[in-house]
Amino acid sequence: MFNIRMETIFEKSQVDQHAYSLPKDSREFQTYFPPKELLRKTEILLPEISEIDLTRHFCNLASRNMGIDTNFYPLGSCTMKLNPRVNEMCAAFPSFVRSHPLAPDEAVQGNLQIMHELIKMLCSLCGMSGGSLLPNAGAQGEFVGIRMIAAYHQKRKDYQRKEILIPDNAHGTNPATAVMSGFKTIPIATDERGDINLEQLSHAVSGRTAGLMLTNPNTLGLFSQKIIQIADIIHEKGGLLYYDGANLNALLNIVRIGEMGFDVMHINLHKTFSTPHGGGGPGSGPILCNDILKPFLPVPYVEKRENDYKLIWKAEDSVGQIASFHGNFGIYLRAYLYIKLHGNYGLRRIAEVAVVNANYLKTKLKGLFTIPFPQPCMHEFVVQADNYLDKGIKALDIAKRLLDYGVHPPTIYFPLIIKECMLIEPTESESKATLDRFIEIMMAIVEEIQQNPDIVRSAPQTTPVTRLDEVRAAKHPILKQYS
Amino acid sequence: MDFVSNQEPQLREMLNAIGIGSVDELFSTIPDKLNQPRPTIDDGLSEYEGICHMEAIAGKNVFHTFDNYLGAGAYEHHIPAIVGAICSKSEFLTSYTPYQSEASQGMLQSIFEFQSAICALTGMDVSNGSLYDGASACSEALLMALRHHKERRKIVIAESLHPHYRGVVEQYLCSQGVEIATLPFADNGALDENFLLRTLDENTAAILVQYPNFLGIVEDLQSVAESAHKKGVLVIVCANPLVYGLYASAGELGADIAIGDGQPFGIPLQFGGPYVGYIACKKELVRQLPGRIVGETVDTKGRRGFVLTLQAREQHIRREKATSNICTNQALAALASLISMIWYGKKGVQKLALTNYQRASYLKNLLENLPGIEFLSSEPIFNEFAIKFPGSVQEVIHHFRKKKIEPGLDLVRYFPKLRGYILVAVTETKSKEQLNRYLEVAKECLI
Repeated sequence: MFNIRMETIFEKSQVDQHAYSLPKDSREFQTYFPPKELLRKTEILLPEISEIDLTRHFCNLASRNMGIDTNFYPLGSCTMKLNPRVNEMCAAFPSFVRSHPLAPDEAVQGNLQIMHELIKMLCSLCGMSGGSLLPNAGAQGEFVGIRMIAAYHQKRKDYQRKEILIPDNAHGTNPATAVMSGFKTIPIATDERGDINLEQLSHAVSGRTAGLMLTNPNTLGLFSQKIIQIADIIHEKGGLLYYDGANLNALLNIVRIGEMGFDVMHINLHKTFSTPHGGGGPGSGPILCNDILKPFLPVPYVEKRENDYKLIWKAEDSVGQIASFHGNFGIYLRAYLYIKLHGNYGLRRIAEVAVVNANYLKTKLKGLFTIPFPQPCMHEFVVQADNYLDKGIKALDIAKRLLDYGVHPPTIYFPLIIKECMLIEPTESESKATLDRFIEIMMAIVEEIQQNPDIVRSAPQTTPVTRLDEVRAAKHPILKQYS
Repeated sequence: MDFVSNQEPQLREMLNAIGIGSVDELFSTIPDKLNQPRPTIDDGLSEYEGICHMEAIAGKNVFHTFDNYLGAGAYEHHIPAIVGAICSKSEFLTSYTPYQSEASQGMLQSIFEFQSAICALTGMDVSNGSLYDGASACSEALLMALRHHKERRKIVIAESLHPHYRGVVEQYLCSQGVEIATLPFADNGALDENFLLRTLDENTAAILVQYPNFLGIVEDLQSVAESAHKKGVLVIVCANPLVYGLYASAGELGADIAIGDGQPFGIPLQFGGPYVGYIACKKELVRQLPGRIVGETVDTKGRRGFVLTLQAREQHIRREKATSNICTNQALAALASLISMIWYGKKGVQKLALTNYQRASYLKNLLENLPGIEFLSSEPIFNEFAIKFPGSVQEVIHHFRKKKIEPGLDLVRYFPKLRGYILVAVTETKSKEQLNRYLEVAKECLI
């Protein structure tokens, strides 16, 4: 095929072409000009482009991208489930979209009701007593949660608590968050069954421990049976427990997070509650907490009064603000409707089917890869592609070959503690036929590794580009047009 | 309803394959006392019922029926129809962060173009792929400056920075052990330059100013930047990016880091979010940038392609040593912003900015001719200005609302010294008829 260089929109610029139109001008407007010395003097290096070329450019870009709507996307720890279109439709209602964030409370009662009820629904699901929707993503939720833990110790004049304990399989955001909040991180090892090493934990915890950050099920997809003991160990020493809610999908209406002993947590609405990932955001990372941490929640928050809802902007012990306004409100609408559609009954079904789907895949992939943890998994599981290293095939190669078969690869090389790992999360959305097809593809790739490993090593071949030179990108950075 | 595919027949087959009799066995690792009972009654809604429910709640909002003059960090602008059409395309809407670059060229190239457009507007060397919002952009920029100037432990923030941004900055910096000095605004709302010269010193890592400032005033920041640079202080300019269609760019002003919220381009008000923070800087600072950055490269066949790059700064690689904990942020909102910037294009952005300026100036001028109305400042504006009616501001606002107009923001909630002032924003969405009507209602308040 005629092979053309992929142009950027900047390179498609043609003099004087344009897509914009502006509302009717008036001679009375045109008499105003700002002081000349303050004006911009340099050219604005934006392209000049017609609407058809603009439209075609971005449609062509879209065709060079995979999404859940187009491909199976079993990306572990990301919960790539269906993003229902009904959510998109309702989030676009004009009265939501055209609300200014500083509008008077009485003019946006619907928005405030959504926010108030969403927090209540999330609290009830997670066994927590209060929360805030404000954090713009999971990582910001972690940050607020850790700030609240810090504020709690501060309030008690317990100043020596400067350490946060974090298992070595945790998401990278956990240690990064703890450091951003001024804490020292203490890593805790994982035992041979994939659970936290209790002995090491007991030694690490002390009067310097501010808290423990934990995901359960953890990033290996395993539920920690020791969770109650873990919580007791931390609480006995005066520390608090932070729950990283990235893996909440497995526990919807199965276990309430608060009952496991967690004091504060975040939820990724863009994972568990189906709001679109959008190629890397916008997400939304509400936090929930129990009574002891409630006074420290950020502001503003919604209060329900007898006849109306009201925004509260100041609270004595609050850690303060975290977002420009009310966080990602547009995302709350989608998550709210998703929960309403499911009800408690449907949410429980999500968790159950997500776990069945994962265990089915795991069972079927047993013969093909090393399974480091044989016990039943929750919503995701880890396999090791270490048995093909002698053929020169790594997890990366298998991931790239999956692209040729039209499957988005699982998460690879995470958690970092498992060699050549693939973290597979099918979610409840997928049908058995899709899972069976995935299994067949994996079998076909393993067959290829035996017969013709080069085809796997040089994959992908069918994507818009083949493997990209990342070293070159980092060594000689080209980070924009006209650089 | 749910969106689960597998029903009883498939689940039965799958459980058989796993070698178990019931779903409950898969949850047997969970201690009994934690296990919740399975709900027995389907309490969900159908799609139709869900839509009706949402319509009923949406019906309780009335703000959208008002002529809106609120700005203060969130502006009502026209959003080109193509923005929604592209952003709702499945391949963009339902994809994840582009870790698998071969399957994500569309999003990667879009982010590269967003970076390019932000650099074009701000006049800076490099941009990242977005941050959460304007407030987090302020915070991340200051953290960047503190990493750059490891030995300096003070920052200076203009009092005329958006008070919410200031609040979030304090949240982000509170464990950094740095002194935050506030650079006050003078009676006319502009920076107090004498105070500035006194407060900048060799311990100052950065100064953060807003452009136009929270009160709507456009200042000549070039002299501020010169004073700061004499002491080696990094200059951070937080701006509504549309201002750069008319006024000097951050690059021309001498900024080291340019930040702000991209909402005015392509993103609806939607009660405060999702918006999109942007951050761009001089190339010397690139390794301190937080978040995703996309770079251009080639594939094994020599074809052009795009990848996430300089990832050694990021949390998924560096963990506790990362420049920030930021992971997912605002890719789709950045795409919306990009499409809007491109739709306006080189000339359209200039015209849009001038239109905003002219309409705001038109209303300002009409009001200036009314007896009894006071203006905070005679300094240049962009699309926002502060005015004071005689008498109770609450009564004035109430009167406007009765006429279905939201007249602006009561500034006393942020600045007690500005009691009585309201901040009025005018964009291209206001017609001459609407602006004249604002004047008529303003006259009624003076009677």
